[in-house]
Amino acid sequence: MSIVEPTSTWFEQGFAEQNAKQDWLRALQNNAAEVFSQRGLPSRREEAWKYTDTTFLAQKNYKMSAVMPANNPIAEYQLQQADCIMMVFINGHYMESLSQIDLLPNSVTLCSLKDALDSSELKAILSQTVDAQRYPFAVLNTALLQDGLFLSIPKNTVLKTPIHFLYLNTETSGFAAHSRNIIKIDEQSQVTILEEHVGQQADDYFTNVQTDIYAGRGAQVDYHKIQNESKSAVHIAQTFIYQQQDSQVNLTSLSDGARLARDDIYLRLSEQGASVSLKGFYALNQDDQHCDYHIHADHLAAYTMSEMHYKGILDKKSQAVFNGKVYVAADAQKIQSNQSNHNLLLSTQAQVATKPELEIYADDVKCAHGATVGQLDKDALFYLQSRGIDEKTALQILNRAFAADVLDKVKHPAIARQFQRLLTQEFGDENEFC
Amino acid sequence: MDSRLRGNDSGVVFKRVKIMLTIKNLHAEIQDEKQNAKKILRGFNLTINPGEVHAIMGPNGSGKSTLANVLAGREGYEITAGDVQFADKDLLSLSPEERAAHGLFLAFQYPVEIPGVNNMYFLKAALNSIRKTRGLNPLDAMEFIQTIKTKIKEVGLDEAFLNRAVNEGFSGGEKKRNEILQMLMLEPRLAILDETDSGLDIDALQTVAKGVNSLRSKDRSMIVVTHYQRLLDYIVPDVVHVMVAGQIIKSGGKELALELEAKGYGWLEGQTAL
Repeated sequence: MSIVEPTSTWFEQGFAEQNAKQDWLRALQNNAAEVFSQRGLPSRREEAWKYTDTTFLAQKNYKMSAVMPANNPIAEYQLQQADCIMMVFINGHYMESLSQIDLLPNSVTLCSLKDALDSSELKAILSQTVDAQRYPFAVLNTALLQDGLFLSIPKNTVLKTPIHFLYLNTETSGFAAHSRNIIKIDEQSQVTILEEHVGQQADDYFTNVQTDIYAGRGAQVDYHKIQNESKSAVHIAQTFIYQQQDSQVNLTSLSDGARLARDDIYLRLSEQGASVSLKGFYALNQDDQHCDYHIHADHLAAYTMSEMHYKGILDKKSQAVFNGKVYVAADAQKIQSNQSNHNLLLSTQAQVATKPELEIYADDVKCAHGATVGQLDKDALFYLQSRGIDEKTALQILNRAFAADVLDKVKHPAIARQFQRLLTQEFGDENEFC
Repeated sequence: MDSRLRGNDSGVVFKRVKIMLTIKNLHAEIQDEKQNAKKILRGFNLTINPGEVHAIMGPNGSGKSTLANVLAGREGYEITAGDVQFADKDLLSLSPEERAAHGLFLAFQYPVEIPGVNNMYFLKAALNSIRKTRGLNPLDAMEFIQTIKTKIKEVGLDEAFLNRAVNEGFSGGEKKRNEILQMLMLEPRLAILDETDSGLDIDALQTVAKGVNSLRSKDRSMIVVTHYQRLLDYIVPDVVHVMVAGQIIKSGGKELALELEAKGYGWLEGQTAL
């Protein structure tokens, strides 16, 4: 199999400009660059990339993003009518002057990744090896790591104020931003987080973001991700979630932007009682728009639970991929898992490849999965029209209704409003006719 | 009370017309699974004056529901001949929503479940769309809630149904009551009830009939499509038509319904339209 190598200038530039001060990090990045070069960009000959081609990235001459002046108005992205701790990144660079961390309790650590590089804890996490075959972009992320953030919440801490990571991409094309978020929530602690990626203009850039979440015993994490990149951009994301006993993680995501979006989510339920719930919605409405969710849940202990429910609406010639895999180890009895993927195609040229998978070695488990691809319900449309609602509004109402249950697990009202705002952009205002 | 609401609750006031509905020589067909055209309506004629209630009875497959659907504007029917005038408008040239705004209402035989769409929101969107088309301001939230709370009592549904998704998980009877609730809210001038009695127990039937009767007025007409005479004990029609093979073969007063109940449809088959 031939390897599609990225242009070597990616790495030269990366190192020249990154030039990490820490010896261990330079060594780590050198090694990752080597590993990635050998592995190559994933191509469609690989099962996990069968429907998503990334080899075109080799032709792109992305440069490391430059630091932008901190003059972007961010008010419109702030959570409305709510206290918030906000970390702002522009083109991948942490902007201290735009961030607001006044409400952060003293016991909690939250800083840019660069500012945390001297911590041995962080060094240990970054130095963990990743399966380059399965997660090539995680290796690339290490090789070209630019910045990101480090959040560490000590045990028994309930953080009521939500934390908002805003990754704003703006004013320039042709850059790549490789960011890493490392989040540790210790025993019995709770946190609500929104990770938001926004492209302000129709720029062509490359986001490669990795988020590692460590949920300690009994921790509760409500994590939300909004991907609203520029419709010319490439967004590649790895989210790795490691859960200890009785921890509960909810991950709700809304994907609306990017020409190509790929989300790899890895769930490691390694102790009893760990439970994870994923909910996602994607809206694709451009001819060349492509969105791919690959999820792998490892049930490694008994009494663990996973749920993944993804839905999407596709218009024009857009394409979506869903591949959810649940793996149940031999002694992981009494586990429960449930996965579904439902798609609504608004055009005859839109395409979906959906594949829920199960690999079960235990014999006392409860696993369900299902997938649908369908057209708009014409009977429902006629029903609304017969009550006087015009066709355009009726379509908006039906599409929005299809999307609405992505909000089921969004408990924080200001974050729910942030989701609703995007749904309104896409499908019109729920209250317009009320 | 706001002056907009004088007269009726929805505030939509229709201009009086001399004739409510005229259907002339209506022919309609559908395509079956093998893409063959199947004639359903074969020269259907009917005239309804304001204030009249017409019952259309007939055996299975005679075209009653097709007639109701064609009048409401459902897709999938090919109109091959004929003309329909509804309150001085060419009905067949209007979209379903325009027909509704013009005062036509179909109570569905099988009301559609719409997950994710809140029942109250749906009713409000419907009412305000119709008001907008007719050049009226949207009803404000308070007025709307007061009105709907009164009406939902009339159809015997709990207020909790307003906060559920449209028809989702409703029983057969609850769906039919919800249809009547919509009718009471939208106050059409021509209501078509397509087998509203099917699946209803006697109590529900009486409640539904009471709701329907409360709308009867000299300016409002109704078409009641049914298999059974039972509903007509409660909604007493002015005229009863018997429909067989896509046309009306006999018309009479309310006593015709009793005769059909006693004799069945067999004795009429073979007769042609007068």
